Amino acid sequence: MESPLNFFFDPILRAPTLGSMLMCLTASLVGVIVFLRKRSLLGESLSHASYPGVILGVVIAGYIGLSDQNEAVLSLLVLIGGFFSALLGLYSINFLENNLKIKADSALCVILSTFFGVGITLASFVQFNYTNLYRQVQSYLYGQAATMTDINVIIYGILTIFVIVTILLFLKEIQVLTFDRIFSKTIGIPIVVIDMIFFILIVLAVIIGIRSVGVVLMSAMFIAPASAARQYTNSFSKMFIIAGFFGLLCGFLGNYLSVEISQYLAHIYPNERVSIPTGPLIVLIASLVCFWSLLFAPRQGLLFRIVRIAKFKLQTLEENVLKTLWRRGEPLTLKDIQAYQNGNIFTMWWILNLLQKRKFIAKSSHTYYLTDIGKIVAAKIVRLHRLWEVYLANYLEIGVEKVHKSAEEMEHVLTPELEKELTAFLQDPVLDPHHQPIPAK
Amino acid sequence: MYSNPYNNTNFFEFFLQAFWRMIGFIKGDLSYNSLVSDEVQLIVLTLVSASTALVGCLLVLRKMTMLANSLSHTILIGIVVAFLITTRGSIESSHDANMTINLSAMIIASIATAFLTTFLTEFFVRILKLQEDASIGIVFTFLFALGIILVTTLTRNAHLGTEVVMGNVDALQLSDIFPIAMIFLLNGVIISLFYKEFLVSTFDPLFSSAIGISTSFFNYLLMFQVAITAIGAFRSVGVLMVLAFITVPPLTARIFTKHFSTMLLLSLMIGIGSSWIGVAFSRHILTIHDIALSTGGLVVCVMTVIFLLSIFTFLFRKPNFLNKFRMTPSDELLNG
Repeated sequence: MESPLNFFFDPILRAPTLGSMLMCLTASLVGVIVFLRKRSLLGESLSHASYPGVILGVVIAGYIGLSDQNEAVLSLLVLIGGFFSALLGLYSINFLENNLKIKADSALCVILSTFFGVGITLASFVQFNYTNLYRQVQSYLYGQAATMTDINVIIYGILTIFVIVTILLFLKEIQVLTFDRIFSKTIGIPIVVIDMIFFILIVLAVIIGIRSVGVVLMSAMFIAPASAARQYTNSFSKMFIIAGFFGLLCGFLGNYLSVEISQYLAHIYPNERVSIPTGPLIVLIASLVCFWSLLFAPRQGLLFRIVRIAKFKLQTLEENVLKTLWRRGEPLTLKDIQAYQNGNIFTMWWILNLLQKRKFIAKSSHTYYLTDIGKIVAAKIVRLHRLWEVYLANYLEIGVEKVHKSAEEMEHVLTPELEKELTAFLQDPVLDPHHQPIPAK
Repeated sequence: MYSNPYNNTNFFEFFLQAFWRMIGFIKGDLSYNSLVSDEVQLIVLTLVSASTALVGCLLVLRKMTMLANSLSHTILIGIVVAFLITTRGSIESSHDANMTINLSAMIIASIATAFLTTFLTEFFVRILKLQEDASIGIVFTFLFALGIILVTTLTRNAHLGTEVVMGNVDALQLSDIFPIAMIFLLNGVIISLFYKEFLVSTFDPLFSSAIGISTSFFNYLLMFQVAITAIGAFRSVGVLMVLAFITVPPLTARIFTKHFSTMLLLSLMIGIGSSWIGVAFSRHILTIHDIALSTGGLVVCVMTVIFLLSIFTFLFRKPNFLNKFRMTPSDELLNG
């Protein structure tokens, strides 16, 4: 086991670590825009579309006689190839959709698969002709960070800085354009230019990213950190920061685990050279971060939504029980109370116990009755119910026979402030539309 | 061991040789076991492209190709499961064997995968409230990543992960013909049995549910067909290039016709034709230039060229066709 800190300083380990982190950072930042524009599948297509260009870069490298030692030129060739091939893919998608009226999903799929097919053919060419470069070809499929060197890190670092600066420079325009295209047109934002910048950012993020994540899984790095970040904030700029943080985290952990697991496998199966590609691990971790956020994020996570719904249901049931007791005005047995509610006998029994604990009701032998506090609380709920009925009937002119249902819901929702407003607005009425008295405050 | 009669043939000699061999088979001079590698490739690719063309036409018209994309990734988990069923969990014994999978395992795995993918995506959209494009994306990348890690650790063979995606037509054997033939038969039977139902639920979902044809049932059926076709095809063309087989021939056919039956027929012809040309080309390049290219990749290239040519002929027939090449960003592309 290496200490995690070592991954930043060890001369062999630091390049893959920093490289992966830079790539994931870029992808996550661009991913925020992709996510908010709901174009995640465009990322998927463009990452596959970059593959033939990447391989073409390798082929050219092989043609001019470079070996895989010559990292700087090789990665530049690959980057340039990938960049133009992804741009061509983008143009083709646009062309198919606009000029041939092919549906968006089919256009994305066609470009993804045909470009990839061409890439595979070129890859087999490399395998046959420039065998020493074939490892390169394979590593762009699923990502292989381990073979990165400091030169790669410098190149990727410069590109990352370029991406970050571009995003910072055009943050306002991108924000307006993402949320309201028509508004941004009226205030004179050059839509075509900003869109071009957006597309170039995606393409850059793809070509930086495929070295550590691979073309096949690249789109996950656009989606997962942004989806996770969306759970914690509603603010555009904060989303970038959170997504960027998640990206860095996934990049580091993915690379770290890839090295550790490969070492472990090499240890138990010494005869077989098995190494886990970096890409799947980074994507796995990013997915887990995303699942965690979707489930447990405060406010928007599934768990918190379920708790909130359950709490509200409980409150509704409690208030309904109090209301029943108040209206009947006599002690009732458990069975009597249940007859008025939708809930089984155990839930009722449990709720009555809760209410007893809060001293709203009391029990004598087998019947329950309201305490003095309980009477006040119950009267308040009935008051809200009837006030709302008055409002609906008199001001919104809804038929008297229809108002009860809405009031059944609103009585649990109206806040004290709203009650005050309603009372003032309706001039403190004494009778509801059904000619029932409204309890005084 | 037979010597391969296709050795040292160029593009045209290949077809000539195939023709004579075919006559040999019809006359009974040659038996099933004397099929050589090139012929196995031809038969398997023909069956694969026929299956995918059938399924692909429906997918394209139903705008479900992105689901096919996500299935083609998640199918990797299905393949791992099918592999485990076939070898009864004993990975050790089959360590360096080819990944051969029996038919029943394929069916189970593809049902499981189709269901899992659809269910998970729905779960993310409905319950976890994630927007749809992101849900599709996160589900298939997650399952694919998991699949790659499982394949690599379970089989301890780093090449398998590459082969699953790239396919390897040259590794096909006689035993590969049977499963894909059954899959083709299955697809053919399903589509001819439910031809009307598919047609109605594709073009008028409202009407179809009014007369009691469940659109979602046929969606699931189609997903299952995609899954089993992808499993059947992964050995020859890999899980990602299947997507080209599924989308490109139907879209090419769509340029020329508006009739569903004509579209089916045309895409069958384009698919099968490209496969034959691809195999012949692969042999030609090996003979003349001494380079072994990926046959699956070449077939996709042929399909792409046919698609491009079709687009050009389509545009040529229209006035001022050069205007068509101007770059105009569409709102649909930008906004999704």
